[in-house]
Amino acid sequence: MATIELRGLRRTFGSVVALDSLDLDVHSGEFVSLLGPSGCGKTTALRIVAGFEWPDAGEVLVNGRDVLGQPANKRNMGMVFQAYSLFPNMTAQHNVEFGLRVRKESHEKRAKRARELLELVGLGTAMDRYPRQLSGGQQQRVALARSLAIEPSVLLLDEPLSALDAKVRVQLREEVRRVQLELGITTLYVTHDQEEALSISDRVAVMSDGRVEQFGTPAQIYNGPRTAFVANFVGTMNRLEGTVVSSEDRVVRCGPLMLSVPDPTFNHRAGETVELFVRPEDISLELLSNGNKPAPGLFDGRVTSLTFLGPVTRVGLATDLGPLLADVSSAVALGLAADTVVAVKLDSTALRSIAR
Amino acid sequence: MAQVATVAETRPSSHRFRRARNRVPVWHLTWLVLAALVFIVPIYSVVQFSLAGVQPGQSPFHWYLTVFDDPMFRSSFWLSIQISLETVAVSLVLMVPTVFWVHLRLPGLRPVMDLISILPFVVPPIVLVVGLLPFLEKITWLFVRPEVLSLIYVIFALPFLYRALDAGLRAIDLRTLVEAAESLGAKLPRTLLRVILPNLRAAIIGGSLLTIAIAMGEYTVASLLEFSTFSVYTYTIGTSTAYEGVALSFISFIFVWGAMLGLYLLGRGGRNAAAVAITH
Amino acid sequence: MALAEPGIRSAVLVGSAPRKRSRSRRWALLGVLPFFAYISVFLLIPTGELIVGAFRTANGAFTLSNISDIFRAPYPQAFEFSLELSGLSALMGGVLGFLVANAVLHHGVPRFVRPAFVSFSGMAANFAGVPLGFAYIATLGTLGVVTTLLQHLGLNIYPSFSLQGLFGCALVYMYFQLPLMILLMIPVIEGLRKEWRESASNLGASSFAFWRYVGLPVVTPSLLGLMVLLFGNAFSAYATAETLGVSNLVTIDIANLINGDISINPQDAYALALAMIVIIVITIVVYALLQRRASRWLR
Repeated sequence: MATIELRGLRRTFGSVVALDSLDLDVHSGEFVSLLGPSGCGKTTALRIVAGFEWPDAGEVLVNGRDVLGQPANKRNMGMVFQAYSLFPNMTAQHNVEFGLRVRKESHEKRAKRARELLELVGLGTAMDRYPRQLSGGQQQRVALARSLAIEPSVLLLDEPLSALDAKVRVQLREEVRRVQLELGITTLYVTHDQEEALSISDRVAVMSDGRVEQFGTPAQIYNGPRTAFVANFVGTMNRLEGTVVSSEDRVVRCGPLMLSVPDPTFNHRAGETVELFVRPEDISLELLSNGNKPAPGLFDGRVTSLTFLGPVTRVGLATDLGPLLADVSSAVALGLAADTVVAVKLDSTALRSIAR
Repeated sequence: MAQVATVAETRPSSHRFRRARNRVPVWHLTWLVLAALVFIVPIYSVVQFSLAGVQPGQSPFHWYLTVFDDPMFRSSFWLSIQISLETVAVSLVLMVPTVFWVHLRLPGLRPVMDLISILPFVVPPIVLVVGLLPFLEKITWLFVRPEVLSLIYVIFALPFLYRALDAGLRAIDLRTLVEAAESLGAKLPRTLLRVILPNLRAAIIGGSLLTIAIAMGEYTVASLLEFSTFSVYTYTIGTSTAYEGVALSFISFIFVWGAMLGLYLLGRGGRNAAAVAITH
Repeated sequence: MALAEPGIRSAVLVGSAPRKRSRSRRWALLGVLPFFAYISVFLLIPTGELIVGAFRTANGAFTLSNISDIFRAPYPQAFEFSLELSGLSALMGGVLGFLVANAVLHHGVPRFVRPAFVSFSGMAANFAGVPLGFAYIATLGTLGVVTTLLQHLGLNIYPSFSLQGLFGCALVYMYFQLPLMILLMIPVIEGLRKEWRESASNLGASSFAFWRYVGLPVVTPSLLGLMVLLFGNAFSAYATAETLGVSNLVTIDIANLINGDISINPQDAYALALAMIVIIVITIVVYALLQRRASRWLR
């Protein structure tokens, strides 16, 4: 299987910088997601790899060879678009066979391969249906099968699930990952849905304004965001402001609390103002009996909002450290109401600081 | 992981890609050039021809001056303008309330209206005249007045005006607007006048421009009913003196160009202009 | 008493509601009466009259002789010429219009090309009729600018070429058929989704392969439908041909009959007109069927 390397890709559209010296490398057989908001350049990067766009500067190497000189139809990559990509005048089978037909494969070989792939994506019974007779999810499965028919070295997917219903999206992303693992094909996946990216990728590149903010495994991205953007984009983060008390011991004073930051890369000097981040699920609450002060290490907060999210309830709190969001199990949240005073505990091992 | 791209390497590659991106195949260029020739050569010939054939000592604009001096030129042009405006007036008075009414109260009639809007294509001008003539000849008082042309041209303009109004009304949420006006105390005629019409301005103006273009250029009915409209005048003059006919042709061109420019500036050039072509 | 009243009132209302609705609909229909009256007088009744008139003699007696007259010279030749002219101009305008529309939409083409072509097409499409005839007389007539130019280059197109001949007249008709086709074809080609082309390319297809397997199959119903439209458009034309001096065209024959120049049997005009209507209705039906086919894929 192939490796992909992007080196210094740069692309501007008029005065808009879509890609700003992008570097990325994808290992053989790896599933890498490009994750970011609209306009961050992820689709542009993918289309450059596919050959539908050209960069102003930079290189794209597949297996070490520069592919930018090749036109799109010679690169032997499979691509799945967001929607509408199936040829309307052909059945599912003929759609899948298309790449092989262009390569002048025999009728039997084409049909056999089409059947194999459609069964792989779970649509063996739909071979004779036309795209308009298929649901959105089914169409995307056919599109996936079609892109794999030519045995590409690389699989590219441009937000393939964005146009589908939520439930179908979850189902289908598992399918895509399953197929990818089974075939071991190097894959580049573009999405703005962080849950999608985190759940199926080997590594995720979080992008913003044409640059890669952070590139790592889903766990690394989620638990160890290295920039404020990543912290805010991936999952929800509470932001705390504090002053450094001791740089050696990594102690920061936030409001009335002294917090110890576990991050070994903490490099701020005493007296500096820093931002600390903590996830809602790392904050826990205890009900305070009337008039009691919270135990040491805890601080008090007043409930300002309750948002039922199913398994958890997101509790908005007003505290001396600023407004916070805490995710508590919905059973516990039943005991809460607006203006209830609670004791708030931060899991200090979950505190993150962002290097400046 | 060797650091690859140097500055010197990136510059040539960017040029290479920019050129590849914007290269237009010769195939496409050929057809564009051919079409451009088809459009421009006759216009150029008209200009060239109309400035030719003059005697030494005469102005190169001789034929234009001859034409402008002809009182029939002015009277026929003026007649055509009058007929055009009358056509627009009758068309609007007839069609705007009707299409409004159908959209508001009789949506079930829409398919019927769509069908009717195609009928004038089934019955082209020459055929319509065959059917109308015996009937009109009996109504002598109307038959000799040029207004009869306006009344007939309303039929020719019908498909385009209907389409323009239909599209314009579909773009606004008619029912909601009317109900809102009603709840504020306005009666229907007032609502039509003050609320709906302003929103239909683009459709009405576009449709009217098309109607004028149709009426100004119409020849078949005008000639068979023996009225001296501008196009009939052009034909008569042109078949006796080709140079003058061509000069008049250029004047028509300028007029049509102006009308289409007006339409295009309204932002609806393509579709509507295509529609008018299906009347000659 | 007070309690019973609302009950009775509501019963009466419930009972009368359906009648009230149909009555209000009848009043509503009154609103479109002026329109329908107008088109009856100026379109429907005249059409009916001529259909009936095709089967009547000058005295009003029923006859099929008008219809049979159509099959006697010179009318069959006129029909032949009209149909050939319409077909040729539809084919020429259709094919070139398709190629030009495709070229205009090419992504590498400079920004100004599309608006330039669209606006000029709008203009050219309306230049038809008497002015167009004279324009071509100025271009390719015996003393035309292009004729003279070609003569200077040693090429004498006359006498084999004639503006009144099939090819010459079709060439003139191109002036409004081509822009019409361009304007109507552009949305059709735009309906070819970018994703189809990119998918095809991604799967290894050249531009030619794309058109062969996807592009043309999808576009052909629209293409044919629009050519049929052009056919009907040319068939109905009168003024342009009359200006050029064409003599054996169905529309011109009808006009001559009306003018009384050829007073063989003026009733024949009805029969000719009826024949025209039949032919046009056929083209519209074919067009509608092709459009329905086209919309299956281009939605």
